[in-house]
Order: sequence, then C-alpha cells, then structure tokens
Amino acid sequence: MAVEALVTPSGAERWNALAVRARRRRLLTDSLLVGFLVVVSLPIILPYFWMLTISVSAKTGGVESVVLWRACAVLVPAVVAFGLLRLFVEETRRLVLGALAIAAIAVAAVILLVGSDLHLQNYRFLWNPDIVAEIRGKATAEAQFPSVWIAFRNSLALAVTQTVLVLTVSTLAGYYLSRFQFPGRAGFLQGLLVLHAFPAMTLVIPIFLLMYWSGLLDTITGVILVIATLELPFSIFIMKGFFDAVPWDIEMSAMTDGASRRQAFFRVVLPQVRVGMLAVGVFAFIKGWEEYVFVRTLLFEKQNWVMSLYIFWVSEDIMGVDYGIVAAVAVFYILPSLLLYVFCQKFLVQMTLGGIKG
Amino acid sequence: MARIELRHITKRWGAVVAVADMNLVIEDGEFVAILGPSGCGKSTTLFMLAGIYMPTAGDLLFDGARVNEVEAKDRNVGIVFQSYALYPHMSVRRNIAFPLRFKGVPRHQAERMVEEAARMVRVEELLDRMPAQLSGGQQQRVALARALVKKPQLLLLDEPLSNLDAALRLTMRSEIKRLQRETGITTVLVTHDQIEATTMADRIVVMRSGRIEQIGTAEDLYRRPDSLFVASFIGAPPINLLAGEARGGALHIGEAQLALRGEARGPVFLGVRPEAVVLDSTGHPALVEDIEPMGRETLVLLSTPLGALRALVGGAAIPHRPGDRVAFSFPPEETLLFDRASERRLADVHAALASRG
Repeated sequence: MAVEALVTPSGAERWNALAVRARRRRLLTDSLLVGFLVVVSLPIILPYFWMLTISVSAKTGGVESVVLWRACAVLVPAVVAFGLLRLFVEETRRLVLGALAIAAIAVAAVILLVGSDLHLQNYRFLWNPDIVAEIRGKATAEAQFPSVWIAFRNSLALAVTQTVLVLTVSTLAGYYLSRFQFPGRAGFLQGLLVLHAFPAMTLVIPIFLLMYWSGLLDTITGVILVIATLELPFSIFIMKGFFDAVPWDIEMSAMTDGASRRQAFFRVVLPQVRVGMLAVGVFAFIKGWEEYVFVRTLLFEKQNWVMSLYIFWVSEDIMGVDYGIVAAVAVFYILPSLLLYVFCQKFLVQMTLGGIKG
Repeated sequence: MARIELRHITKRWGAVVAVADMNLVIEDGEFVAILGPSGCGKSTTLFMLAGIYMPTAGDLLFDGARVNEVEAKDRNVGIVFQSYALYPHMSVRRNIAFPLRFKGVPRHQAERMVEEAARMVRVEELLDRMPAQLSGGQQQRVALARALVKKPQLLLLDEPLSNLDAALRLTMRSEIKRLQRETGITTVLVTHDQIEATTMADRIVVMRSGRIEQIGTAEDLYRRPDSLFVASFIGAPPINLLAGEARGGALHIGEAQLALRGEARGPVFLGVRPEAVVLDSTGHPALVEDIEPMGRETLVLLSTPLGALRALVGGAAIPHRPGDRVAFSFPPEETLLFDRASERRLADVHAALASRG
C-alpha cells in the first residue's frame, strides 16, 4: 500500500510537479557535465590558442602576454556563451544563428582589442628561405638554413610513403591472419601484441647501427622503413579485427557467384573494411608526420630535414629564440594533421566505437 | 539443370567427421530438403555441393561428370545463405548483376537479365536501394534473384527462412516453391525446421551426426520412420515414446501389458503419435494432468498406467479440466515399435491395448 501511495500521484498537479523536477534535474546534470568538460579541456586548448596568438602577434625580440590575456578575455566569454546557447536552444536553425552571432561579436571584439597588434611577419619563413641569415644579418657559419618547403616535402614524402606501406602490408597481413589457419598463428598474434607493448625508444641504438651497416643512414628511405616497421604490429592487429567482423558468407557467396578468391577479396571484402583502412591510414600518416626521435637520430643532412627537425633547428639555431617564428612554424606544422583529422573524424569515431555499421 | 550424385562422400576436419559415407542421388529438377539438427553435417554437404568445401573422400557427380576438384566459381551454382550475404556496399541492382560480371555477359543483356530476375522475385521497385535499406523479406528476395540470375544448374538454399518472421515465412515458402516449379532448377534446401522441409520439398533427407538416417517423402517420414531418431525428430507435438519389454507375445510397459501383433523380442520403444491417442469412454483410465490449447487443436497431457502420454484432440475447447478422470485408447495400426538397442523400427509390428468393456 505504501508503495502505491508513492507511485500514484494525486492528480494533474502532482504529475506537473514531477515533470518540473525531472526537467530541473536534467538541466542541472547537463550544465554540470558541460562545465566539467570545459574545465578539463582548458589545459589542452589553451596552449594551442596561445601558440596561435603568439604566431600572429609576437615581434622579434620578445613575447608579450598582454595580447594573450586580451584574446582570452574575448575567447572565454564566447565559449561560455556558446555553451549556454547549446544548453537552452534546441532548434537547429536558431542554434546556428546564435553561434554565428557569437562568432561575429567575438571577431569584432578581437579586432577592437588586439587588432593593431596582429601581423603575419612571423610567417615570413614561408617565402623567405633563409630566415636565420636574415635575423642575424649574415649567413650562418655552416651553409644556409634550408627552405621550409624542403622540410615540408620530406615530411610529406615520409608520411605518405609510410602510410601506403603500412596500409598495404597491414591489410594483406590482417586478412591472412583473420581467414587462414597456419602453424604458429596464435604465437604470431601474441607476438604482434608484445611487439606493440615494447617501447620503441629502446631500439634506437640497434636501429642506428642497422641503418649504418645497411647504408640507409641519413636517407628518408631508411626512416620510412623503420617507422613503418614499428607501426605495423598495431595496424595489422587493427585490420585483423576489421576482417574478423566481415562475415564469411559474403566471401563464399562471391566465390559461388563466379569470383576467384582474389576478386572476392578486392570486390567484396575490401570495401567492408574501408573504415578500418582509413583509420589505419590516418594514424600511419600522423605517425610519420609527427615522428621526431628516429628522424633526429637517423638524419643529419639539411637537405633531409623533415618538419619536426626544422622546428627544432628554428628554435635552436636562432640566437635568443624568436618565439614568434617558432610558434608560426608550429602552426604551419600542425595544419596538415589537423585538416586530416577534421575530414576523417566521422570515420575515426566509428572505429573507436569498435565496429562497422552495416 | 543437373542430376546430382553423391557417392561415398566423406568430409573430415582433422579427426572430426562432419559427413560420413554419404550416398544420395538428386534427380534433374527435383526439390530435395536436407533436414537435421544443428551440427549434423547438412550445411557441410551443401558447401561441398557449392564447391566451397572439397570432399575428403568419395565422388561428387554433376550429370555423371566428377566435379570434386571443380572450383566454386566454375560450377554455376546459385546459393542463398541464411544471412542472405548481400554485398552491403552495392545497390540491389549491382548485387543481382554481380554474378553476370564474371560470365562476360554484355552490359545491355545483363541489365535485361537483372530486371527479369528482379521481376521474378518481385523486387523490381527496389533495384536502386542499398541492402541496408531493405527489410528481411526483401533482402531474401534479392538474394534469390542473385542466385537465379545466372541460370544456375543447381540452386542451394541454406536455412533461407529462419531469419524471417512467421507470416513472411509462409509467403516466402510458397514463393520459393513457385520459383522452383517455374524454373525447374534442381534445388537443395538445408534446414533444421521440419515444417520447411515437409512443405517445400519433393523428398527429404534426414541427417544425423554426419549420416543419412532416412530418405523419403514427408508422409514416409511421418508414418513410416525407419528409426527412433526420425520418429522423434519429425512431428510436432512430438511422438509419445514408451519404454517397454517384448516377451511371450506381449508388450510389457511398467505394470501394463499390451498384445503384440508381429514378431518382437527384448527391450523396445512403443511410439504413438499424439493425434492417434483418442479420448473416449470405452478406453483405459487416465488422469488429465494439464491442457494446452493450440488454436485448432488442444494438447492434453495424460497420466496413464503406461506412463505420461500426449493426446492431440480436435477443437479449441474440450470438456475436460486438469484433474479429470478420462479414458483413452489408440488404434493398433497407428503404433510403431522400435528396437531399443539398434533404434531401428520393427516393420509390421504393432501393439494393441487390451479391449475393455
């Protein structure tokens, strides 16, 4: 009887009270959640924001934090306003309009507060190959500082080649591991996991010697082989998982429909794992793009510099570091991987959820 | 169209025997069902026919020619999988056209064949959809169209109806039957559902742990099962089986004694179909334990001197309630006797309840 009294409200008033309470509670949990997420994401976002601010405002000879604080004074209210907008507005059209309004106000405020301090001088490394000579008024003792485009080209070659390599090998190996029985298969799979758990840094010296003896030291090819090899165990494992999720039926069906095993693989199985291939490809590209330890160890010639070495030498070579230029190079360095993430985000999220939607 | 022959076909996976010494002839244009519980080797048999598995021993003949080593892609076999196995990244049109691409059919002709196949299974409005946008029944039809479009000499159906809901199952059942009759393609259906097998196929092959138990029409299997397994596997609600002992011309079950007609000796099982058990006033006493109305009929669970018996009584409403005392009997010619050791049926042996009053 007591339970019944609790559950049964006495009329419409009681229902309304319950509805109001539920609405209030939902609002409270939502705002707590959003608040929490904002707070924990601050330490991640702020450095990038600072980097961007420095790159467009700093002048040779020092960094002032005034611009940063002013920019933050615009950014923080804008973010808070956007959060509140999301919390209270549900209709898509009004949401977009609100977001646009907030963005317009923020841009206007930025121009008003710090507009006079903004300039693109720090990005001059893009068209002026020898920034060091320019800054120090004469060429450095050892030859010239290479153009950023050489480093960019090397980085791109490194990342793209290793992506192609990793994708090809991990797709074929993953398929074989998923579909075929062979002696030592279980050991091989365990080996993949163990290899992945193994810290690659411990291999720096042996790999250096290996490269030295095989004549691949100070070549991009050598670095590509090393990075691809280190990347492979994990990629193969991921691809095997994706192939495991493809039912045998469609493969058998393709073969009774007249396809050979190879045709069945390319026309029927491979299209089912394209999300996995995309994920593995993006990770491989970013690994190649951001690689530092092995390029630092294995490459010396200026003509072989990649972006990570370029940024290192920019901050190292210039007497009294020019933070403006370093930050600008960093922004330039980040852009490709950022674009890649933005375009592939949808698929990558699918992957982390662990499957292919049918 | 083809006449299929399996001669001493055996398939082993390491030490496990999936199919043992199977002999079967499927006539040209025949519709044969392979029926059995899961793990009995029926799907393995199907995949051997398709060319996906190769038999370990024995000969597989298509129209008298040995095809053991012929690859799946060259056998011209159409197959519909339990999961339908549509290619998720292709439209219905491209799914159906897929087999034609490998046969080198010219584009305009392929298009016509696709449309014809689609019309045959009534999916011509769905040609530009993706498989994920189709319901289960529609996917099933597309899979059928894909199997039929290449005009196969053999059509294989692997549990084609088990993923459909009850109403759809009924429609697809008659649909598949109609298609088979119209095209005259030799067809093999694999199923664990006896209703599917009995309603669709001309002949049924009952399999059990890799061996053929019996081959026959639906009526053969139901009325004259060769073995205890077939008797208990076919029929719903299942047959009543009572353990007894045949000695001195009589069948002893518990305390009760039945007259034997025919030769039998030693431990046996008496089998009586539920619908053969009749509730009447002249029979032997029984107690109604429970009543299960099944719509058109009612299943009455009886406790009798012979043991528990299921009786299937016509009509949705019957004048009995649990706890009632009733009388039952069954006609002797409806009884089946099985040897308990060999589990084979004893032909022409029946048992009769002593007549009363």
